[in-house]
Amino acid sequence: MGENEVWKLESIGCSPVRLDAREKVTGRAIYVVDLKLRGMLYARVLRSPLPHGRIVRLDVKKARTLAGVAAVVTGEDFPFSFGATIQDQHFLAIEKVRFVGDPVAAVAAVDLDTAEEALSLIKLELEPLPALLDPVEAMGPRAILIHEGLSQYALAPGIFPIRGTNICNHFKLRKGDVEKGFRESEVVLEDTYTTQMVQHAHLEPHASIAQVDRCGKITVWSNTQTPHFNRKALATALRLPLQKVRVVGAPVGGGFGGKSYLKAEPVCVALALKTGGRPVRLVYTREEEFGSAPVRHPARIRCKTGMKSNGTWIAQEMEIIFDTGAYADIGPRVCRNAGFSAAGPYQIPNVRVDSYCVYTNKPVGGAFRGFGIPQVTWAVESHIDRMAEKLGMDPVELRLRNAVEEGSLSATGQVLHSVGLKETICQAAERIGWGQNEKPLRGKGIACMHKSTVTPSSSAAYVKLNEDASATLMVSAVEMGQGVSTALAQIVAEELGIPVEKISVLFPDTDVTPYDMATVSSRSIFFAGNAVRRAAADARQQLLEIAADILEADLRDLEITSGKVFVRGVPEKALAIAEIPLGEAFYVGTRGRGKGRPVLGRGVFDIRDATALDPETGQGRNPSAFWMYATQAAEVEVDPRSGRVRVLRIASAHDVGKPINPRLIEGQIQGALAMGIGTTLLEQMELEEGKVMNPSFTDYRVPSSLDVPEMIPILVEEPHRQGPYGAKGLGEPALAPTAAAIANAVYAASGVRIKELPITPEKILEGLKKRRGNEKEGK
Amino acid sequence: MPGTDDMKIKIRLNVNGFPYETEVEPRRTLLELLREDFELTGTKEGCGLGECGTCTVLLDGRPIKSCITLAVQANGREVTTIEGLEKPDGTLHPIQQAFIDHGAIQCGFCTPGMVLTAKALLDENPRPTEIEVRRAIAGNLCRCTGYQKIVEAILATAEKEGGAG
Repeated sequence: MGENEVWKLESIGCSPVRLDAREKVTGRAIYVVDLKLRGMLYARVLRSPLPHGRIVRLDVKKARTLAGVAAVVTGEDFPFSFGATIQDQHFLAIEKVRFVGDPVAAVAAVDLDTAEEALSLIKLELEPLPALLDPVEAMGPRAILIHEGLSQYALAPGIFPIRGTNICNHFKLRKGDVEKGFRESEVVLEDTYTTQMVQHAHLEPHASIAQVDRCGKITVWSNTQTPHFNRKALATALRLPLQKVRVVGAPVGGGFGGKSYLKAEPVCVALALKTGGRPVRLVYTREEEFGSAPVRHPARIRCKTGMKSNGTWIAQEMEIIFDTGAYADIGPRVCRNAGFSAAGPYQIPNVRVDSYCVYTNKPVGGAFRGFGIPQVTWAVESHIDRMAEKLGMDPVELRLRNAVEEGSLSATGQVLHSVGLKETICQAAERIGWGQNEKPLRGKGIACMHKSTVTPSSSAAYVKLNEDASATLMVSAVEMGQGVSTALAQIVAEELGIPVEKISVLFPDTDVTPYDMATVSSRSIFFAGNAVRRAAADARQQLLEIAADILEADLRDLEITSGKVFVRGVPEKALAIAEIPLGEAFYVGTRGRGKGRPVLGRGVFDIRDATALDPETGQGRNPSAFWMYATQAAEVEVDPRSGRVRVLRIASAHDVGKPINPRLIEGQIQGALAMGIGTTLLEQMELEEGKVMNPSFTDYRVPSSLDVPEMIPILVEEPHRQGPYGAKGLGEPALAPTAAAIANAVYAASGVRIKELPITPEKILEGLKKRRGNEKEGK
Repeated sequence: MPGTDDMKIKIRLNVNGFPYETEVEPRRTLLELLREDFELTGTKEGCGLGECGTCTVLLDGRPIKSCITLAVQANGREVTTIEGLEKPDGTLHPIQQAFIDHGAIQCGFCTPGMVLTAKALLDENPRPTEIEVRRAIAGNLCRCTGYQKIVEAILATAEKEGGAG
């Protein structure tokens, strides 16, 4: 590097080009599906055709002897179980199948055609059992048990199943006295809202390659969002020490929660353990994605709200039923986290929430962007608008009146910090032109949200400075499109004073990159970001020590800017980082001593004062390290002849604490808005007898470029004292308020109130017909 | 029985300007040929049914879904994949550069197909309107970006390069 070269410092708040842009746009990025290992075998899975049944006969003999088949595994070969919260899932079904798509047997063969032929040679006989397809029915006292062994399963902390039932978690929140609160209220409204089953529909399917080496060590290449969790879960299930399992990441083609915890890995590993060391690759087909992969929990939310006639919120009661499907997966935690956040970001003295996580014989409800918050927000934010109407108050006004602020007490008794909610309400309302005259058949609607982050959790990072002043960041945050690698590199750049382009970020590898809980819950900037900041600061400190030695200056007088170390106030006494001996000791002068040494920065971040929630009252002072807040305002037009809703514009205002990379943040907001349009107006997994009837992109309508409205992202900054540079999180929030904002706008435009997602033209037409009928009868 | 050789057909095609000669079973798709036989893994598979556009490549300059196109259909024709867009010296195609500059890439899985569809559009219509851009890419699903920055990148490229040939 020449002496006069200017180093461009891209730091916090700037939007440098993302580090992986070039390799993705040239087709050079290697995803798991692009990996080819010597001797690799290809896997296919035989899945249950029934939603509930006992395995009477499973005969794989013919499949095993087909030419080209290396291994066939069944549940009997593999009596191991796993689970993100409840250890209720076997690698392959044992004794029972519990949903259409439940893996029963798997084949590894020289090519997919052979594997498929082998599947057709497997004889599976099932004795059908009554299938529970409705969670309310499944909760009933006389319902058949989907998991008879529920009381024997190992449980994660904070999960409370109800013995002898299909309820695998019951979360309770009791604050104040809701009965008293309702008595004191002047307006009370109660109703029920529902959300449908939807799919993540990331374009890259689940993919996993597993290989067992001669020492019995299992390496799994996986497009998972949770490498360290997966390593532990596999090792625990197989009763192996952690060092015998290695999970390696790659660029992930979209996750949205669907690639969290064990998914394709168990079956893949089961096969790999039987192929004598040959690697096995399992890639879900798109049909498997729709039904065998996790879905978003359909939910039924009963909401009862009590307010004074001046709009002061007195009481809120909610009952939420999350349909978690055949296995718990992370459902119990969705139930809990959405449970303690359910009443919304409002100051309410009396709150009662009962949140249930219920087994049914349907696809597994897993982590899905928002983690239960989109469902409860749909209910609460629709309900608030109806209260506003009853009170004769403006919906924006009513929300502002009750919105939480800095220092407010949450529903669990947490003193809230970094609360930019009111600002997001004002900005969203302003940008949509709230209160301005509407054209006929057009309307505006608003909705707020808040979301917690999984607490406690922790992250660690290493920053390795290379001898040419470039740096390598070793962290296990998973890059799945959100841009986390780039944002974390910006933090390193900021601390070390070197350009972002000089930083390379390794893919997660549980043998190499240190522990990070998982890339979920919008936690990475806060947790991994803090760990990275500490690691970079540590590296900076080490660097300055070496520089101080060479410059013969006091450490405290040194600064790093633009890739150079300066003595403050003496710009001539500067040293380029690349000239500082980083890996080698060298002699200075004829009687010199060694100077310089490798620089390796280390950072760890965790939450020391997290609290559990009381099992009876759900009260706890610190269940969430930070809270995210957002408000969306939508303008829609309703066509009364077709019932079609056209979303014209959505303003989405977010309190992000401090933006690390504004353009990446905009991208997340826009992407989530599109997903919100889809899950509000277009998407629904249609099931018949537990079987998904629309398992393809033709019949399951993911928004295209023609389906998205004008999107107006707005960033609000309410710095968090513990966030890196004040930053919080953003991945999930923009998905939550969209449905209610649109529903409220639809109501304003047409007088039709939809309480069951998705909002379809049929429901609008039905609603308009009813209104006309009511008008005729003079109602 | 899978893998019989007696049904193979000889084909000749150009991929990214390079001539290839090979034998394929009639049922082999162009996607399989590109990814498995020619090791050009830039083209991705999203659904295998021609419904998502992820596998888009250009056949004689027109965007097609390679997962539902047979390899034999490419006989005697010109295929362009994402790998064929950059110049040998590494200079990116203007559309690629615009995608980078405008933040139009997130997970990157839809990107190769999206870029090629955009290229085909601009080759035919150098100055499209926004609605024309949205219609052209309506067959390329993206779950990450919401399409906004992709549309901006394509329009910006048209603005910069449009009419220049």
